Amino acid sequence: MSLLFRPRHNTLAQISLFVLAAGAVGTLGGLMVYARTPYARGMQDPIEQPLQFDHRHHTRDEGIDCRYCHNTVDRSPHASIPPTSLCLNCHSQVWNKSPLLEPIRQSFFENKPMVWRRVYRVPDFVYFNHSIHVNKGVGCVSCHGRVDQMAAVEKATPLTMGWCLDCHRNPEKNLRPLEEITNMTWKPEGDPEVAGRLLAEQHDVHTRISCTTCHR
Amino acid sequence: MAASSSNAALAPRDPLDPRPLIEGVHTDRTINDSLLEHVWRGAGRGWWACFGVALSMLGLLVIAISWTLYKGIGSWGNNIPVGWAFGIINFVWWIGIGHAGTLISAILLLLQQKWRTSINRFAEAMTLFAVICALLFPLLHTGRPWFAAYWLMPYPSVQGIWPQFKSPLTWDVFAVSTYFTISLLFWYLGLVPDLAALRDSSKSKAKRIAYGIFALGWRGSGRHWAEYKWAYVLLAGLSTPLVLSVHTIVSFDFATSVLPGWHTTIFPPYFVAGAVFSGFAMVLTWMIPARQALGLKHVVTAKHLELMCKVMLATGMMVTYGYVMEHFVAWYSGDPYEYAQFFLTRQRGPMAGIYWLMIFCNCVVPQIFWTKKGRTSLPVMWGAAILINVGMWCERFNIVVTSLHRDFLPSKWENYAPTWVDISLFIGTIGLFSTLFLLFLKFVPAVAVTEVKELRHELEHDSHGPAIAAAGGTHA
Amino acid sequence: MSCEENKKAARRSRSLAIVQGDPAGVHAGAQVPKPRSWRSLEERAGSAELSAAARREFPAGASELTDSVSRRSFMQLVGSSAALAGLAACQKPNEKIIPFVRRPEETTPGNPLHFATAVSLDGYATGLIVESHEGRPTKIEGNPAHPGSLGTATAFDQGMILGLYDDDRARAFTRKGQPIAWRSMLGEIGGLGDRLRANEGAALRFLGEPTASPVVADLRRRIQARFPRAKFFSYSSTASEAGQGAKLSFGRPLEPRHNVARASLILSLDADFLADGPEQLALARDFARGRTPGPGMNRLYVVEPSLTVTGGVADHRLRLRGSEVAAFAAALAHELGARPGFELLAPLAAAVRPPATAPWDARWLSAVARDLEKNRGKSLVIAGRRQPAAVHALANALNVALGNLGVTVAWGPPVLADVDIASGPPALWELMTEITGGLVDTLVITARNPVYTAPVDFKIEQLLPRVPNTIYHTLYEDETATLCNTLIPAAHPLESWGDARAVDGTVSIQQPLIAPLWSGVTEVEVLAAFLGEGDLGAHEVVRRYWQGQAGRFGSGLDFFEHAWEKWLADGIVPDTATKPEAVTELAVDGAALAKAISPLLTAARKAEGAGGLEIAFSVDPKVYDGRFANNAWLQELPHPITKLTWENAVLISPATAGKLGLVTGDLVEISYRQRLLEGPVMIQPGHVDDALTLPLGYGRAGAERVARGLGFKAGSIRTGEAPWFDGGATLVRTGGGYKFGITQDHWSMSPDGRTTLEPAVGTTLANVENEHSEFNEELEERRGMPPTLHKPWDYSKEAYKWAMAIDLNKCTGCNACVIACQSENNIPVVGKENVIKGREMQWIRIDRYFTGSVEDPEVITQPVACVHCETAPCEYVCPVNATVHSDEGLNEMVYNRCIGTRYCSNNCPYKVRRFNFFEYNGDVSGARRLGMNPEVTVRSRGIMEKCTYCVQRIERKRIDTRIAGRAIQDGELQTACEQGCPSQAITFGSLNDPGSRVSRLHADSRRYDLLHELGTRPRTAYLARVRNPNPELARSG
Repeated sequence: MSLLFRPRHNTLAQISLFVLAAGAVGTLGGLMVYARTPYARGMQDPIEQPLQFDHRHHTRDEGIDCRYCHNTVDRSPHASIPPTSLCLNCHSQVWNKSPLLEPIRQSFFENKPMVWRRVYRVPDFVYFNHSIHVNKGVGCVSCHGRVDQMAAVEKATPLTMGWCLDCHRNPEKNLRPLEEITNMTWKPEGDPEVAGRLLAEQHDVHTRISCTTCHR
Repeated sequence: MAASSSNAALAPRDPLDPRPLIEGVHTDRTINDSLLEHVWRGAGRGWWACFGVALSMLGLLVIAISWTLYKGIGSWGNNIPVGWAFGIINFVWWIGIGHAGTLISAILLLLQQKWRTSINRFAEAMTLFAVICALLFPLLHTGRPWFAAYWLMPYPSVQGIWPQFKSPLTWDVFAVSTYFTISLLFWYLGLVPDLAALRDSSKSKAKRIAYGIFALGWRGSGRHWAEYKWAYVLLAGLSTPLVLSVHTIVSFDFATSVLPGWHTTIFPPYFVAGAVFSGFAMVLTWMIPARQALGLKHVVTAKHLELMCKVMLATGMMVTYGYVMEHFVAWYSGDPYEYAQFFLTRQRGPMAGIYWLMIFCNCVVPQIFWTKKGRTSLPVMWGAAILINVGMWCERFNIVVTSLHRDFLPSKWENYAPTWVDISLFIGTIGLFSTLFLLFLKFVPAVAVTEVKELRHELEHDSHGPAIAAAGGTHA
Repeated sequence: MSCEENKKAARRSRSLAIVQGDPAGVHAGAQVPKPRSWRSLEERAGSAELSAAARREFPAGASELTDSVSRRSFMQLVGSSAALAGLAACQKPNEKIIPFVRRPEETTPGNPLHFATAVSLDGYATGLIVESHEGRPTKIEGNPAHPGSLGTATAFDQGMILGLYDDDRARAFTRKGQPIAWRSMLGEIGGLGDRLRANEGAALRFLGEPTASPVVADLRRRIQARFPRAKFFSYSSTASEAGQGAKLSFGRPLEPRHNVARASLILSLDADFLADGPEQLALARDFARGRTPGPGMNRLYVVEPSLTVTGGVADHRLRLRGSEVAAFAAALAHELGARPGFELLAPLAAAVRPPATAPWDARWLSAVARDLEKNRGKSLVIAGRRQPAAVHALANALNVALGNLGVTVAWGPPVLADVDIASGPPALWELMTEITGGLVDTLVITARNPVYTAPVDFKIEQLLPRVPNTIYHTLYEDETATLCNTLIPAAHPLESWGDARAVDGTVSIQQPLIAPLWSGVTEVEVLAAFLGEGDLGAHEVVRRYWQGQAGRFGSGLDFFEHAWEKWLADGIVPDTATKPEAVTELAVDGAALAKAISPLLTAARKAEGAGGLEIAFSVDPKVYDGRFANNAWLQELPHPITKLTWENAVLISPATAGKLGLVTGDLVEISYRQRLLEGPVMIQPGHVDDALTLPLGYGRAGAERVARGLGFKAGSIRTGEAPWFDGGATLVRTGGGYKFGITQDHWSMSPDGRTTLEPAVGTTLANVENEHSEFNEELEERRGMPPTLHKPWDYSKEAYKWAMAIDLNKCTGCNACVIACQSENNIPVVGKENVIKGREMQWIRIDRYFTGSVEDPEVITQPVACVHCETAPCEYVCPVNATVHSDEGLNEMVYNRCIGTRYCSNNCPYKVRRFNFFEYNGDVSGARRLGMNPEVTVRSRGIMEKCTYCVQRIERKRIDTRIAGRAIQDGELQTACEQGCPSQAITFGSLNDPGSRVSRLHADSRRYDLLHELGTRPRTAYLARVRNPNPELARSG
């Protein structure tokens, strides 16, 4: 009878088998890689806000401390977004005619809250507490990056559990004197390792990695 | 010369069991035709009828699964304390059934039991389908299958956590998936030459191409045969330990716990024995009608059936011994919880009926195989086989539900009642099994043709040369 | 409030709406009341969420829940699981953050605030501390400064948090079914008032509940002044006759104040004083203190028809039919009167003939009498609310004769404001006759659902419609609402300004935690409306009244301003407790008492003669008189004794059941005074023979969706002249196979005769004191480190080693801890169907075992939650590390990692793990979500959960103290159950602090570990229950 398959079909078969296997492995591997890319983590993506609030201007140019606006960061789990009234502390005097700030004035006088877009988000089952970190010498910049250089704030860190654990396992490299907490440019003198260990002692840092530290 | 040799020439016989392993006069061609015939024969009314039933049961499975996923485990009868019930019972039951195949094909092969030849394909297919049914449950019975699917796999996640390797459930994942893979390869490898045979004897081109692709370009060259043999034995060697390991590990799900009725060291051997027991029962349950329908009487002879009955008798006795030991240890250990579990809860509790049914089916029924009559009468052995399937299901019910529903603190004892979803899932998997099996019978030879041919040659050879391994090997 | 966190809190509780409330105005109470403030940004933004809640398919916890996995909740599930998968982090953030425009001063977003307020039941107040997150009340706790609370709150009180967010509550002001604004209604009432004043309000009637509120009393006076001929009535179906009893014995209305702390012997005459009545919290605490094993240990005798919480902890219990209690008391007086030193009782003794054939064991009675005699001056006889005045009078007589007056019981001036108005059933009867006579034109009802609670023979249902104007002020559109033509939705106690008084008279100002979620006004506002002074608002009325009173407390420039602030902050107004009056002896002699008693005795004998069964009505510990019937938490709360949920049952003793051929689950038809009542029978060990107990509060037919159709209405055969007991009932079996939702099916610790160690250890004082007693030896083997092959983990290096101790000797099984836990940890209800299946979710399971005879058993209750084993069987079997051990010994449950294999539960010997078989939170209303604790994840379908030792409280306290640079002190960190326990049976703390209370308790000689033999090394230890039986009485615990 006529020949159904030719020798090259064998090669074909082998190749297809190989592709099948490689494909399976590749997909899985690819997914794992993807999960680690800044894109997948929503990083490096400046978020447009309804009102052009420029952190660069306020922090670098005006030298306003982070805690002036995010003023519950050291006593509450939440750093908190400032109420409109706080903006007007200055802007009732400064730029009080600027059309850019119209939404703020509107919000205040019509008692309608501002609506911002969220940049940093952890899942609902993660109980992050700002105050303990800030009080134990973890600076803003460690998680939020160089906000003083961002026209529009973007997510600077992956916020994956693995990332949290890295620091919770050895926090030294992220510690600083309490008075430098909001300093975006502070660098330890000398060997960071040594400085870190010293600070950990000073602040009596005991990072915890028990699950219920963050999940309840 | 093979053609000339008559069946009568197949001598000398085993003095104890003179019956042949292949009945009638055969040439390679006659065997080929007779064994491939049922594939070429169009699907008969009988087949369609069975297939219809099987499909509708399969439909039930689909409904039950979607309902479970939609509503949650709450749609099952489970509760606290009975956290596991039908799901795990069925899982263990099916895995058990999946044992005969590999045992027959692998272990009997290594032991050079000639009688395995004509039933191994059949049994292996059964293994495969049973394991598929079993695999449904571990996933389905979790509260959130969509996570179970990948959190059970060890892979470097961004969360930086891994599965819990101390947990028997994690072991299960590996044990069962390995078992499935090996069984699949083993079955398929054995199938290759026959697929080639099918390809060559196909009438239509489409069929030839179809079978051709699956035959992986088998040409039956010496080199092919050499490597085939080599791979076959290798796989046999690989699956042999698996036959023992899979159910051992499944039994760890229970044995490693602290629960009275679970917490016992005898589980691994007793689970494996039980598995083989139920596996053979299932093979018989299907073989008896199948050999009738597919005209395989000449290769699956009364002798085969009888040998299987003997295996069931042996494993049945092992299982019985297991029961006895459980009870003895419960009493001898002096642990009041163990004692209460075996002598109060199981024997007199609200679920005692199932316990006694188990005792009857698994300990009493097999005894009938002591008699020649029992081992040769088709109706008797068929009925017995079915009862044993039932009995083994009851055994798992006893272990899982009965142990759970009354454990340590009487304040949290609860009764258990299955819902329609539970029952549909069970029936449904039987449907899935039957569907796959009927398809198998339809599209590939139910008996390993090449091996049978080979066997015929061997037997012939034996009959001329000095009687080495007596065919049939009653010392099976 | 930055809504970043607010959002989170909201999302945590799967809520879209965010309640802002009006913290400043409401809490500080300083500002003049603002216009009713908006409650949520959505509402402000016009979102439909809250109103959507109204249209919801099922209320939280309705039993339909089982089959109510709607598409919406299914999508929710998918959504939530996506979030749980952490995938959310992969999506571009598109969430909004909505900060305050002006942030109230005292709020720190993310940190809860606590405010003091008070709620009343039966007119008496319990002081509360309410926790509030971002202006949303989330948890109710007791106010330690309040005499009626001492820091704990009853299940009823704590359950109110659910009641607050109940979207079944009445919302609309309506006249003849037409919605109408409150202001225009005010106008109408004003007009009505003018019309009625024509004849001095002769046709104006008010029907209220017993209340101790000074403001309400004042309003009544002022209304009376404006309408001289108007009449006030007060009615409550559960009122005690103690007051009338006092009238009988002392000639004037006084109210008892009990002090069990100084009582070494207590005899309860059908009084469930540990779990019922306004004094229960204080009494439970003192009683438990008095149970400390040792010479000073008190002894409790209880005489009662059916088992109560108090009966369960009794050292000796006498089963007696309700009507026979009087006879018993009389016989006791008789017995004592014959003794020297009891001359006071002599005439009584002479006059009262105790029945020839007493249904009790004479030995028992004389033993009690001797014991009482031995404990003169430090004993207490206390009669229950169900007993008629005469029995109370007898109890008073006994107390006087025993010299207990001023020691264990004192008599104070009435705290209730209704003394000067007609009250009780007679009052209601009078009102009914007036209505029949057509004397009533306008009836203002502020009482809770009188149509349901009134005696059936008062025919209120037929009469009410005859009144032209019926104005009903109500929390729910209940049975009464359907018969009234004007509805005024009531504000919830947590939304109300008002005041209340504790039993000792201490005043609390009631302040709202939140502006009314739906429209709703307070009783104060309703009454004030009749003064025609316009809409002042409750805050103003209350404040003005107290400003007027300020003189009593001090003077000086803006003294009141500061005082008011302080009163609100503390939750009590200082020095308002009234002095007990100096009553020393009876105003009436024994003979007079005898006269009052004898009719009872004869009545009892008649009932006896009449044959048939005695029916006894009882106040239900879950729904009270029916007012809590729409509270799913309370509905699903297992009854302390029967463990019944979601309904009531006809309780009957095993013997009687045997006699009548009944089994639990049979349906019977009770016929009594030509009235029929059908209900399912439940056999209750310890119930008195030839009697039925019919719990009130069920068979509700109002618009409340949870309450509707649960149980049967015992009230439908409850008449005015026999409100609690009566003989002559008969019953026939009409069917069977009824399924109860019971959480514990088995009575005994060894239902099948197994020889395992008893989980709940009880013994006698003698055994405890004898060091070499079998008891002590057995316990020695049931604690300490079990033999192990591997070296145990050393926890001493850690800062804390959390552990708990539960003293069974103090636990009464009152359920307060269960609700506290449910409220703290966002635990869902599952509905009756799932309870039947054994899927209840409460993290604390109070096991109730009966020991001894089934007829007359002893009860022992044992709260079991996760015991946090050091070698936890649940941990090593979890395939995904979802339950693991913390460095401080907590057995952690990581919800978001759980895949729900339920293997951990199977392997948990204590069976304390709970599984979300369905999306139990899926149908929780939008409103309810506002009240969830944002500190605790709301678990979705397919997840295992269990007690965490309130880890959220641990972590919160840890962070606070670490920032302050100090360690957590013993006692400053309490679990919810510990905090909620009235008798202080639960203690939590660190074993690494040798001085901590929990360390000491773990070293106690009564300490043992549950299932110690398994080597799980639980962190929760139990202390054995101890009974103090009277040596004279053979039967001993």
